[in-house]
Amino acid sequence: MSGNPGNARAERRTRLAAAMAEEGIDVLVVAGNPWRSDYLRFAADITPVEGHAFAFIEREGPARIIVESPSEAARLRSEQAELDVRWSLSAIEETETAIRELGKRRIALAPLAAVPYRLAMGPLVAGIARATALLDRLMLRKSPSEIAALRRAAVLADEGYTVFREAARVGRPEYALVADVEAFFRSRGCPENFQILGSGGREVRGMHPPTERRLAPGDLVTTELTPCVEGYYAQICRTLVLGEPSEPQERAFAVYDEALEAGIAAVRPGATAGDVARAQNEIFRRHGLGDYVTSEYTRVRGHGLGLYVDGRPALLEDVDLNLEPDMTLIVHPNTYHPEVGYFVHGDSVRVITDGCEVLTRTPRRLFSVPLA
Amino acid sequence: MRRGLISWSRDEVPLSVLEGRVVRLQERMRAAELGAVLVYTSFARPSAVAWLTHFVPYWNEALLVVFPTGAPVLLAAFSKRVHDWIRSVSHLGEVRSAPDLGRATAAFLKERPPQPPRIGVLELDTLPWPVAEPLVKSEYGRGLVDATGLFASIRQPADEVEIRLARRAATIAVQTFKAIPTEAKHASELLSALERSARLDGAEEVLPRLAPDLRADATLRRLEGDALLGERYAVELSVAYKATWVRITRCVSTQAVPPSWRGAADRFVETVERLNEANLSLEPQFGPGKTVAWTLETCRGSPPLSIVATGETPSPLALPGGSLACLSLQLDLDDGPWLGGAPLILGSGGQPSRLLIS
Repeated sequence: MSGNPGNARAERRTRLAAAMAEEGIDVLVVAGNPWRSDYLRFAADITPVEGHAFAFIEREGPARIIVESPSEAARLRSEQAELDVRWSLSAIEETETAIRELGKRRIALAPLAAVPYRLAMGPLVAGIARATALLDRLMLRKSPSEIAALRRAAVLADEGYTVFREAARVGRPEYALVADVEAFFRSRGCPENFQILGSGGREVRGMHPPTERRLAPGDLVTTELTPCVEGYYAQICRTLVLGEPSEPQERAFAVYDEALEAGIAAVRPGATAGDVARAQNEIFRRHGLGDYVTSEYTRVRGHGLGLYVDGRPALLEDVDLNLEPDMTLIVHPNTYHPEVGYFVHGDSVRVITDGCEVLTRTPRRLFSVPLA
Repeated sequence: MRRGLISWSRDEVPLSVLEGRVVRLQERMRAAELGAVLVYTSFARPSAVAWLTHFVPYWNEALLVVFPTGAPVLLAAFSKRVHDWIRSVSHLGEVRSAPDLGRATAAFLKERPPQPPRIGVLELDTLPWPVAEPLVKSEYGRGLVDATGLFASIRQPADEVEIRLARRAATIAVQTFKAIPTEAKHASELLSALERSARLDGAEEVLPRLAPDLRADATLRRLEGDALLGERYAVELSVAYKATWVRITRCVSTQAVPPSWRGAADRFVETVERLNEANLSLEPQFGPGKTVAWTLETCRGSPPLSIVATGETPSPLALPGGSLACLSLQLDLDDGPWLGGAPLILGSGGQPSRLLIS
């Protein structure tokens, strides 16, 4: 599954250096942690496993990194020998000092989601939003090597769903399904996957991490799989039935399939994220299910994909961000259905000049798993 | 960004234990004249809120508001439909939807004004700015104080419940090491087997790091892609079971176990026995081999494990006897590097520390 991570790294740094020059930034200080590692991955090609990490990005030359533990520092040095990595029990304080030592150079701090209080209380607070917007712009449209990584992640998502289908058997606990899928991803060299699932009937209102619940005949089993290749996440959402689907389950599937088709058909340059959400929601409204596309029952109708599992833009009717070629998204009309329970159905797509390319290839079916 | 089984067993973590921890925090709050303590939680920093309430966020973020009396309130940036799940895995007074966490917290404090108006924030320096900014700009902005020390003062030593959970996590890790395929040639085969075993055994999380060819490089790495395994390699497993984390490191030889490793293992045990609350240093040491690096970690705030002492920091932090901690040690032996790590209960009153599992 390996591509050429060095190419992506160099490509990102070139784009970032150009954007920094345009914005008049000499040094960009990027904060991150295991929850928000996306901006650090983009700017310095590092993924923190534990603790806070800060990267000092100059327009030229290798990044300087400050982390919180010696093991993280050693790991990052072994991944990129050219990095200047230091560690400190007070990494934030150390970063504050390092910023001060930069003197009168033009410094910016980002991203908003990961900048800690102590640094934001300093002199760089006014520029956080602008520097975050700079990175967001760069991260929205993917370069060829980023698209290549996403394609490989999409292939893994499809393969992972096959493993999930094979794992879903009556009597198995939900967490055993996740064990099988995670083991598969590891066997393919994939270190990260975001996965939630649900099982049961009308009482199921959403997905969650796996529980001890054992699968039962007639269950709808939903999952959202999001494997990661070189930092880039692709996602697939599918629903299966243990046994033969009931008539209400088949009817429900038809609505979600129609909504997914409509959402994907709406993805093209010039359309807004809101248009894609609206196209999906209109199908539900037409079928008398308009209540179930509100925040009471669902969150978003999809979202951006890239170095973060839940990236910009959120596909919601009031989001007016214009889609552009090489943005990557998951379109998923996932929501509760009053007759059958929570239902998911979604594919990863890439915006292209005349529409979109669907990256995940798993058939759009209501999968049925034999009971025997 | 992965989570396995998340569930709350009232037998393993009784309600009274969670309530008792909250009461201890509230006693300290009253003594410190704090009208509320705010505890942030996210995928990266779940441990403080989990210790108080058993809630572990599988993604997204939340803020726990603890008042001097009553049950804590969780302001959660999750959609409302997840609230039932949150309630099923945790013990909370109230769960509120807070998509914009910072603003929602400021609004909540206006609705339920803390008395006195001084607010403690666990690890204030690290609070993400979108959460902190509305608080800073609120009427309580001047009353925000860091509550890291206050929280740490009640967090350790570990209670019996936490020790049992840690022992279970350590047992999962040990069983997981047994699942290492003897014929594995590639890191991917090894990691796949580890992942499956730990998760089938009920691990909430397993984070493996690997030195695939120990003789060439003892750095524990997070692998993307694959690597060939050398004749000797080392595996570090950080395992969580019901929000309690342990870290265990083992060396593996595809040939007969080198005699030097037995000596190193003995030295590790002796090292653990010499540690206690009055002595968090590993020096002086007696053979075999030379100490290259060591780290003693514990959970005292929101990170699952944070450093108390290392070979590179001159002044270790204080840690009371009875604390749950993890020691990681790297030795340079005559025939190459050796890595070991295990959880321990820190000794007190002149008593030696003891390994959590033998």
